[in-house]
Amino acid sequence: MKERNKRQEVDAEFGVDSRYASSRARKADGQALMKARLERMKNFSEEDIKRAKLMQLKLQMEDYLSKPVCSEKNFFTNFLSSYIDTIYSKRSSFANDIDITPVRLSQVLNNHRDPHEEFMLRLMVHSEKAFQGVCEFPQKTWYQIYYQDKICDTLLNEDEWKPKAEKHVKLRYDKKKK
Amino acid sequence: MVVLEVETGEIHKVVIEPVESKDFRKLTKKRYFFNWKEERDQELYKIRRVDDAEILGLVSFERIPLEWRIHIRLLTVSIENKGKEKQYARIVGNLITFVAKEALKDYGEMSCVSLIPKSKLASHYMGTYGMRQTGVTLSVELPEILELITRYDHEGEK
Repeated sequence: MKERNKRQEVDAEFGVDSRYASSRARKADGQALMKARLERMKNFSEEDIKRAKLMQLKLQMEDYLSKPVCSEKNFFTNFLSSYIDTIYSKRSSFANDIDITPVRLSQVLNNHRDPHEEFMLRLMVHSEKAFQGVCEFPQKTWYQIYYQDKICDTLLNEDEWKPKAEKHVKLRYDKKKK
Repeated sequence: MVVLEVETGEIHKVVIEPVESKDFRKLTKKRYFFNWKEERDQELYKIRRVDDAEILGLVSFERIPLEWRIHIRLLTVSIENKGKEKQYARIVGNLITFVAKEALKDYGEMSCVSLIPKSKLASHYMGTYGMRQTGVTLSVELPEILELITRYDHEGEK
């Protein structure tokens, strides 16, 4: 019996070929699996769901930073909204917890106002606490996302700011003293 | 993520990254057990030590968004890492955990990773990776995915 188990382990570790023979087989398998999964999902703990959502957010933020996409979308406020909604049922509770007014938070989330430095620092401290015991969350992440958005925004709106900026810029080399 | 060098007990950091075109000439059936060229159009990843280009294992998979599921198509270790005489341990665990993290990134708490091993091997995957059985399919869902991440994504790295 022991020898049989060892043999199985050796075979199992060399690999698995579990490619579906047909899309029909995949569909049938998926249906049976989904039925069983939906039953099991009923027993997921609130704690596990919260952990999963925070990890998902962190993985998505890392993914964005590893291959940033320049678009009109504001990733910082999108990620921030997800972060708050994962932890709180009311956004005003988050505002209270980092000691800012709900109005100010709303302005940041709606892209009507930039987050000031204090906001960013408090968000960093808040995240450190929230991710404790969940997974490692590098302190610099929020700043990286924020500045990545700024870079994209600047590049996308070059036509707007460049003509104005050019009026104020000259390039004159000083004559070097002999 | 890390692998354990069986002979010395040393721990080595590993990286899991997409297979590149130039890798295919090395991916022979003799060393990696399957015809990996058939998986060219799939998501296909290799695992290697951060300080070494040698491919220790491979996994290909397909995302099934409508079912919040990723299905592992092929999974293997290199011939040197098979059986009692294996050079490194934890290769398969790392690869399954990598796929589980991809599922978590896409589907959050609804995530599922599935595979279909030969029936006589099912108990090994269930015992070692906490997989659950539905018909012939084995899967890991949220609680098991979190457990895998704790075991393989953190343990031994500090």
